[in-house]
Amino acid sequence: MKLSLPRSLRSASTSLRSAFLLSAASLGLAAATTLSCASTPDTDRVTDVIIPDFDTYVQYVDAYLTRRCGTLDCHGQPGRAYRVYSREGYRLYSIQDGGLVSGQQPTQPEEQRANFQALISIEPEEMTRLMARQGQNPNLLLFLRKPLRFNGERHKGGPSMAEDDPGYRCVVAWLSIPVVDGAGVPIPKAQRAKLSANAVRSCADATNFP
Amino acid sequence: MQQTQPSLRTRIGAALLASSGMAFLAGFGNSCNLDPVHRAGVTNLGDENASQYPVQSEYHRPGEPCALCHSKEGPAGTEYVLAGTIFWGPDRYDRRVDQAYVRIGGPEKTTKCFVTNCNGNFFVKAEDYKNLKFPLLVSVERVNLPGGPGPNDEKSIAVRRMSGHIGREPSCATCHILGLRDFGSPGQIRLFDTEAAVDTARPPIPKNCPNEEPRQTLCPEDRF
Repeated sequence: MKLSLPRSLRSASTSLRSAFLLSAASLGLAAATTLSCASTPDTDRVTDVIIPDFDTYVQYVDAYLTRRCGTLDCHGQPGRAYRVYSREGYRLYSIQDGGLVSGQQPTQPEEQRANFQALISIEPEEMTRLMARQGQNPNLLLFLRKPLRFNGERHKGGPSMAEDDPGYRCVVAWLSIPVVDGAGVPIPKAQRAKLSANAVRSCADATNFP
Repeated sequence: MQQTQPSLRTRIGAALLASSGMAFLAGFGNSCNLDPVHRAGVTNLGDENASQYPVQSEYHRPGEPCALCHSKEGPAGTEYVLAGTIFWGPDRYDRRVDQAYVRIGGPEKTTKCFVTNCNGNFFVKAEDYKNLKFPLLVSVERVNLPGGPGPNDEKSIAVRRMSGHIGREPSCATCHILGLRDFGSPGQIRLFDTEAAVDTARPPIPKNCPNEEPRQTLCPEDRF
């Protein structure tokens, strides 16, 4: 025997079913959206980074990197992850009331610090690992892989370093200065090794390029 | 249920339709500038200024990024590997250096010298500098009377060298932005640091450009 419901009841049943389906779809969409979105950034999270020797960078390495990489048409630009400030290119706007002009005043200490931070920030974890192994195998850093075009790594500016050029030797010598001991304990600045005479010469030669 | 195979004629027709569609797309992409960044750059240059220079000529748009249009992406017909404009001072647009020697040095000790036209423009085509490689060092010089017979004619009025090098940019004006000297640009290429110094030096500035004045088109090292 077939039961037939009154028209009003059938209509109510259809509406209920539609509402149920709509709710289920909305819930599904909400769940999918929640799953696909990233969680809120944890502002308390800190990544400890072991950084290479800052004083050596300022004294010997920065001048080479700013000259080699920091022209306005390369890394002397705000759009670069590795952003370089210097007299030869882009200036740090936040100092001297924005009065630094490209090509004019000498590179300022704040700019050198910003350059150092930019370099470390490319791959902070990889830099930490490199420092922990006391500079062994530096070509794992993207910072060197790109200009060397190591393992086919792409660099828009072409090959701008080679393993036999003084600039590369200068950078690698700097990265090889141990800043932590074998147990990961920081070495005080005063007790850190200095660049060898050969490395200092490489830095000077590289800075005078081209 | 029995499926009917498409006839050979249908299949050939479909293949022809697909190939013509591909050909159309390739042709469309080739003929139009599909790079929005490049297209915006070209558009932002605006119209030519006929009151300042002869339009659509080698004298046009001084101080603008030449190789933006004179590139593979176009829309100019000629392609430059390096080009720019030399000014006498840092601010004035109307004082441009005629017959300046622009010397370019490459990493393999190659050097080339080019001479600016009467509107201060110089441009290098690929065939003019076959082994051009970046980075480049550049200097600019203007002498009293280029190619003149007198003993002091080739004496410098002013020489300027770039403190840095050019990493890879073919247009000088991409970094040497016209009318903008700040943290991101050294300003237009100039031989003197102030307009007052230009006034004092009283350099030769042609009244008209182009003109019928005799002019030198080769640097001293290229004259034999």
